[in-house]
Amino acid sequence: MYRDLRSFLTKLEEEGQLVHITDEILPEPTIREIGRAACDLPNGPAVMIENIKGHPGKRVVLNVHGSWANHALMLGMDKTATVKEQFFNLLEKWDRYPGEVKYVGKPACQEVVIKDNINIDEMLPMFRINAYDAGCFFSKASVVTKDLFDPDSLETENVGTYRLQVQGKDIIGIQALPFHDIARHVTKAEEMNKPLPIAICLGVDPVLTFMASTPINYDQSEYKYAAAINGIPCEIAKALTSNLDIPANAEYVIEGEIIPRQRFAEGPFGEFPGSYSGTRLQTRIKVKCITHRKDPIFENLFMGRPWTEIDYLLALNTCVPLYKQLKETMPEIVAVNAMYQHGLTAIVSTANRFGGYAKSVAFRLASTPHGISYCKNIILVGPDVDPFNLEQVMWSLSARVRPDKDVIVIPYTPGMPLDPTSEPPGMGGKFIIDATNPAPPDLILRETRLIDNPNSKGFEKIISDLQKKASVK
Amino acid sequence: MKCVRCLHDTAAKFAEAPDGSGAWEMYVCSRCNFTWRNTEEDEVINPEKRDPYFQLKGNIEDLQVLVPVPPLKKS
Repeated sequence: MYRDLRSFLTKLEEEGQLVHITDEILPEPTIREIGRAACDLPNGPAVMIENIKGHPGKRVVLNVHGSWANHALMLGMDKTATVKEQFFNLLEKWDRYPGEVKYVGKPACQEVVIKDNINIDEMLPMFRINAYDAGCFFSKASVVTKDLFDPDSLETENVGTYRLQVQGKDIIGIQALPFHDIARHVTKAEEMNKPLPIAICLGVDPVLTFMASTPINYDQSEYKYAAAINGIPCEIAKALTSNLDIPANAEYVIEGEIIPRQRFAEGPFGEFPGSYSGTRLQTRIKVKCITHRKDPIFENLFMGRPWTEIDYLLALNTCVPLYKQLKETMPEIVAVNAMYQHGLTAIVSTANRFGGYAKSVAFRLASTPHGISYCKNIILVGPDVDPFNLEQVMWSLSARVRPDKDVIVIPYTPGMPLDPTSEPPGMGGKFIIDATNPAPPDLILRETRLIDNPNSKGFEKIISDLQKKASVK
Repeated sequence: MKCVRCLHDTAAKFAEAPDGSGAWEMYVCSRCNFTWRNTEEDEVINPEKRDPYFQLKGNIEDLQVLVPVPPLKKS
């Protein structure tokens, strides 16, 4: 589908999902105001900002993934596809892994090469994302590293999204948490006191960005997943200063090394739960080279109180792995909606094989690798309820929950440290609401008859077409 | 030059508008790594008006280390 960011932007423009702001603006606070506005609008478009004071000719694009319409177009679907339809579409494409990678000799991302007088803030139109961030951050980079002891493997090569704080002309701080794949590479390099080559790739194809923020297994390749989902080979190339494989059509590639065995102040940064992280001692990158396409586009994202663009990159890619893990042993599972703050709140649609079964589904979710720390609030709904349709979920809570039997709190379980309620950080609890219809031998709800939905699909189309005609007049 | 966040005299200019217009300058603190642009809002770049919660007090070396440096291995 999309070889690069540009071909996706062309598609967004054709579909009315890309707009351009051409008035002259200062980077702060205007770019964050634009980012917030774009994702607050229903089916908000991507926004290209084309006239930034002091940076003539440079462009910033925001909100590329920041609506369900854009997300559907990324998957090659109609922009009106429901979230549930997008979930099942992604599920189907997921099983095509591994896709093919193709090496490119003279990649577009190296059309322009800069090795001297590097100054990131003068070369890219950087901006402070939130007012109390410690500086300008890259919030949407695809960061590539390799295991120094497994240099030829594409599988253990990692492409991940980590926050990156520009701390000088050619210095970038990076947060690599212990449970991130990149931390394994950093640790091995530090044990040998060796610098770790790193490539920060900006403005790549939209599916690769999506996969870079997906928690796949350590030995699975993001490039091969992107190819599987895109349905075309993923074009990669060799970096100029290392053996790393980089997306051939990236807008910018910043190459450098992680300095071993030293830590520097980094943060705070406005993080995905909608609150600021603290200031900590973290690792740092020394930049050696910046390459870019001609007339490069700087893609970054605004993140604030949810929902903002980041939430679309932690949504269906959180749901699909959890669904697959549950489905392995629990075929009654229909769908999983774990879109809220990376799964801190999750809704599972399931049938009850027998009485109390849905509660076992909750325990299973709470013991998946991701669910152990993340899945705090777990809601179970029946197979007739779309877990992505919150009106239906609320109806289910209203009409099917018996508070004395269906609400469970489990204290003192693992928690997610960035969750502001995790106290001490890393400790948490589980809150389970079973809103499924009970099955024997559980007590059946007093006898009621649900209202059957009439066959309305035909008229949905007729009325929708009439509405479109009415709006044209 | 004084850092607007940690208030130490450890900041310096490191970037300016690349078109030579003088539209803005940027500064970095070599101690706490805070950076700012001279055109930002007062609540961000004026120490008197910044939220005290976000000022950096104490020693840098006392900050939490999220990923400790591992022991050296002999090759």
